[in-house]
Amino acid sequence: MAKILIPTPLRQFAEKNNSVAVDATTVGEALASLTTQFPDLRKNLFNDEGKLRSFVNVYVNDEDIRYLQKDATAVGDGDTISIVPSIAGGRC
Amino acid sequence: MIRVQPEPWATMVAYAQATYPNECCGVMLGSIDDDNKVVEVAINLENAYSGPQNEHYEVRPEDLLMADREARKLGMDVIGIFHSHPDCDAYFSKTDLENSCPWYSFIVLSIQNGTFHHANSWLPNEERTHAAQESLEY
Repeated sequence: MAKILIPTPLRQFAEKNNSVAVDATTVGEALASLTTQFPDLRKNLFNDEGKLRSFVNVYVNDEDIRYLQKDATAVGDGDTISIVPSIAGGRC
Repeated sequence: MIRVQPEPWATMVAYAQATYPNECCGVMLGSIDDDNKVVEVAINLENAYSGPQNEHYEVRPEDLLMADREARKLGMDVIGIFHSHPDCDAYFSKTDLENSCPWYSFIVLSIQNGTFHHANSWLPNEERTHAAQESLEY
């Protein structure tokens, strides 16, 4: 089982769990399992086209999946999946 | 409502003044009870924006990942992000809004001539088209 860490503000959509164990072999399967279990999380993570929202990054352990095999990145026992937003801004 | 305890507030103001005339950024950890948020720890992060930092900031996702791990270790929650506006008011700019995340509170510190002037907290909506002002105590 891989473990998905749920960011604080999203725990309200995941029955207040701070992490969820999922049986999956890829990141895509893991997130599908998560959002099947907790459907209210879907709109927070994915856009209408079913793609991750523009500001949502996913890490497996310390690696950004964009630099691995994206949704097809393999996961297994002991792997931790983190959901991390992109944040920037400026005064102008 | 978001309340920043004295120690993290001092950290945030000192960092915003030290990085002037550039923008600073950091993450706030603490506790959330319904709509009442208490910031207990502020972690200064490096502004990762590769262009002019006097008018932009960027948080490295890796740094936010580390902050989330620290929060879990401390038994706290990631409450939000702070950044500074050098020689500007503490509004939430179009750039702030379009590059925000609707999950968090965003505290903006106005630094005028190198000295803290005022601050506001903002809550972006889901579409990141509007940010509501949140009551802030410090």
